[in-house]
Amino acid sequence: MLSYVMRRLLYGVLTFFGITLAVFVLLHSVPGDPISFYIGSHGASQLSHAAIDAIRHEHHLDRPLIEQYLWWLHGVLTLDFGHSIVDQQSVIERIADKLPNTFELNAIAFLLSAAIGVPIGLWSATRSGRLSERASAVFFFLLYSLPSFWVALLLMQWFSVRLGVLPLFGMTSDVYLQLGPLQKLADHARHLVLPVVTLSYAQLAIFARFSKSALTEVIGQDYITTARAKGAAPRLVLWRHAFRNALIPLITLLGLVLPYLLSGSIIVEQIFQWDGIGLLYFNSILSRDYPTVLGLAVVTAVATLAASLLADVLYALADPRIRLEETRK
Amino acid sequence: MKRFLVLLFLAVACTNERPLPPVTSAVDDTKPQEGGTLVRRLDQDVSTLNPIMANSSYDRFVDHLLFAPLIEFDEDLEPAPGIATKWEVSDDGKQYTFHLDPDATFSDGSPVLARDVLFTLKKIVDPQTEAPQIAGGFDTLDLAATHVVDDHTIVVAFREPLAPQLMHFNDVMVLPEHVYAQGDFRRDFVSRAVGAGPYRLVRRVPGKEILLERRPEFWRPKPYIQRVLFEVIVDDATAWNAMKRGDIDETIISTDTWLNESRQPELRRFIDFRRFYMLNYNYIAWNNRDPIVADKRVRRALAMCIDLQSIIDNLYHGTARAMNGPFTPDQWAYNPEVPVIQYNPQEALRSLNSLGWLDTDHDGILDKGKQPLRIEMLAFSGSGAVNQFAPLFQSELKKIGVKLDILTLDPSALVQRVLAGNYQCAYLNWTLDPDPDPFPLFDSSQFPPHGQNIVFYSNPAADKLMDEGRHEFDHSKRKAIYRQLHALLADDQPYTWTVQVSLKWAVNKRLRDVKESRGWGFFGWYPGEFTWWIPRDQRTHEAPPNRR
Repeated sequence: MLSYVMRRLLYGVLTFFGITLAVFVLLHSVPGDPISFYIGSHGASQLSHAAIDAIRHEHHLDRPLIEQYLWWLHGVLTLDFGHSIVDQQSVIERIADKLPNTFELNAIAFLLSAAIGVPIGLWSATRSGRLSERASAVFFFLLYSLPSFWVALLLMQWFSVRLGVLPLFGMTSDVYLQLGPLQKLADHARHLVLPVVTLSYAQLAIFARFSKSALTEVIGQDYITTARAKGAAPRLVLWRHAFRNALIPLITLLGLVLPYLLSGSIIVEQIFQWDGIGLLYFNSILSRDYPTVLGLAVVTAVATLAASLLADVLYALADPRIRLEETRK
Repeated sequence: MKRFLVLLFLAVACTNERPLPPVTSAVDDTKPQEGGTLVRRLDQDVSTLNPIMANSSYDRFVDHLLFAPLIEFDEDLEPAPGIATKWEVSDDGKQYTFHLDPDATFSDGSPVLARDVLFTLKKIVDPQTEAPQIAGGFDTLDLAATHVVDDHTIVVAFREPLAPQLMHFNDVMVLPEHVYAQGDFRRDFVSRAVGAGPYRLVRRVPGKEILLERRPEFWRPKPYIQRVLFEVIVDDATAWNAMKRGDIDETIISTDTWLNESRQPELRRFIDFRRFYMLNYNYIAWNNRDPIVADKRVRRALAMCIDLQSIIDNLYHGTARAMNGPFTPDQWAYNPEVPVIQYNPQEALRSLNSLGWLDTDHDGILDKGKQPLRIEMLAFSGSGAVNQFAPLFQSELKKIGVKLDILTLDPSALVQRVLAGNYQCAYLNWTLDPDPDPFPLFDSSQFPPHGQNIVFYSNPAADKLMDEGRHEFDHSKRKAIYRQLHALLADDQPYTWTVQVSLKWAVNKRLRDVKESRGWGFFGWYPGEFTWWIPRDQRTHEAPPNRR
């Protein structure tokens, strides 16, 4: 088991450098650079070339590309991701400021949709093919296909503008700092409602359909029939025999979804003014803020690799055959 | 399922929100009253509170409350006293003597001294500050000859006498040396501010808000409003909803919102819909190095295919106006006698035919020497009226046999191609300085990469006028020069100027005496927002009620 994890970890490190190189090359091959963005976003007044050259020099933009990559890699290895070209702030600080916001929002949405979606999926698996199951499938496909910006605006219109029961934007009210601890919690929770709903509904549909199809496949297998034939209680068959095997595809899903917890959603963050990673990513790409984009790419890469490592370990735990195969090699 | 979810959330999280926005009352509120909180929208968070590093208009919005410039602009964007109560320009036009207001103080209580001004100027021109925009206005500063005379007098010297120079002192937001000389100038003042402006910083929460409070001991007439809260709201739809709820007091709105919502009585009850022109315009930049559009007769012919009136009526619903040249009607340099190029595709076709562009192979596209008349236009990606211009122009050109290919790019990529001269034409817009000097845009010494003459326009006659104009200190003579230049540039068509689009703004009616300047809208001029006030019975967003 240990060598299995070690091997996966080694792959992860190699993949990580592959990802950074790919992101670096891609980012620099997009036309435009931070300076052209700067010039483009300013008016017709004269610009100082000494100052522009100073910016280029500080961020090594006047060096060959390979040298720029080595500078950056050197920074990554010493855990110094540099400073943003836009606001001079340390990239690590910028990301660390916003990461918890994105993580909180996405984790709540994820847990909520899993907590509701998986049981619904199991329920529909037991009713596979019946009218109620087909109807719920149609409903979930509909739900999944609703564009989130539209749903977000509708929710806003109803609950914030018409009914006035929920706050419109932001993570806290402007009086937040003067509130007591419990009021603070309540205030923040109220701000979470609409963004969480917007993020959850599509995920909910994914969880429901995914767990349903995983379980349906298992239920059709011979050993389930055997278990039933033995006279085991239907509930026991479902939970002990079927569900554990249906977990494998769910683990795959988990590995795919986890990185999203850290990458953020541009649409939801923008509409609800949720100060997270998604907006930072978007603006940084637009302004070609190379250090910030690369810093974010590292975060996403690490999260993706960590999630797939976690999924690998979970596979091994859930399915002894995977473990055995590895040891046999 | 969704309904169930929503109900679940409601049960957990709902209590009643803020009351509806206040309605204009009948109480006597004709006299300005002190106090209250103004909630403004920031379309994007500021990048820093260091005014010398400011790199967006949002930074400047906030800086104007926290800091005071050496000179202000008044309602007509003419220089007015700021920290300097008066100033003299030497006869050779190279030396400016500023007399500082002896009462001026920073928010930490220390007086504003001439050496603080000198310190600020040094920081501006230091390339290590990396402030290209503000530094650009002081490119010819002669630091060696700039000196402090006494605590309240400073002489600022330049290597060249330039008429537009005075305007740039509006960028000199004076910083206290004893504060800003400590630590890292670029990185330590992102969320800190000590300035000579009427407000002081209470707090900045990056990505969320900036709260300012009026300085009780401010050295000029104090603004009426006690606290200003800037709320960061990036999304326009969200901001508009916030406006309708009374969460914010002002926001810029799109032409569509203006059109659809400004007639609704229940909104008009508490929202004032305003519209004004800024110092900006849209234009087609023609690359003068391109073999086809280098000919000004071709440029003029193509310009005749733009139906400006229809664009103004249909794209902007009448909230834009046609441009005739490099100056806007709000600038004193504007020449009203220069005609707007009239829409006349037949004439355009005749003109192109006479230049040898004929459809010899009958494929519907004009050609000359086997080369079809095909032009690529760069445009910014995105939505909104400005993005609809290119397709309209394309269909008009198609009628007379000119093929226009549209390539949309994001700003950074587009600007890079334009600066490299790697384009035929591009649909762009400029925001102009209050001084009309067009030298940076059209002088033949200002080609990229070191200048902004992105069309590579070169005409000795225009160069001469621009040179005279920026060295002429006599206003009426300068005006005459620019009117002549206006006509010359309009005739040469290095750009085809299209429209000037007015900005639309929504302002809560509880705010009183909201005036706009000629060219800068509500903000950034003096006294501007400092004369706004809120009637006592219409205050919201005050210190939190005691709900504990």
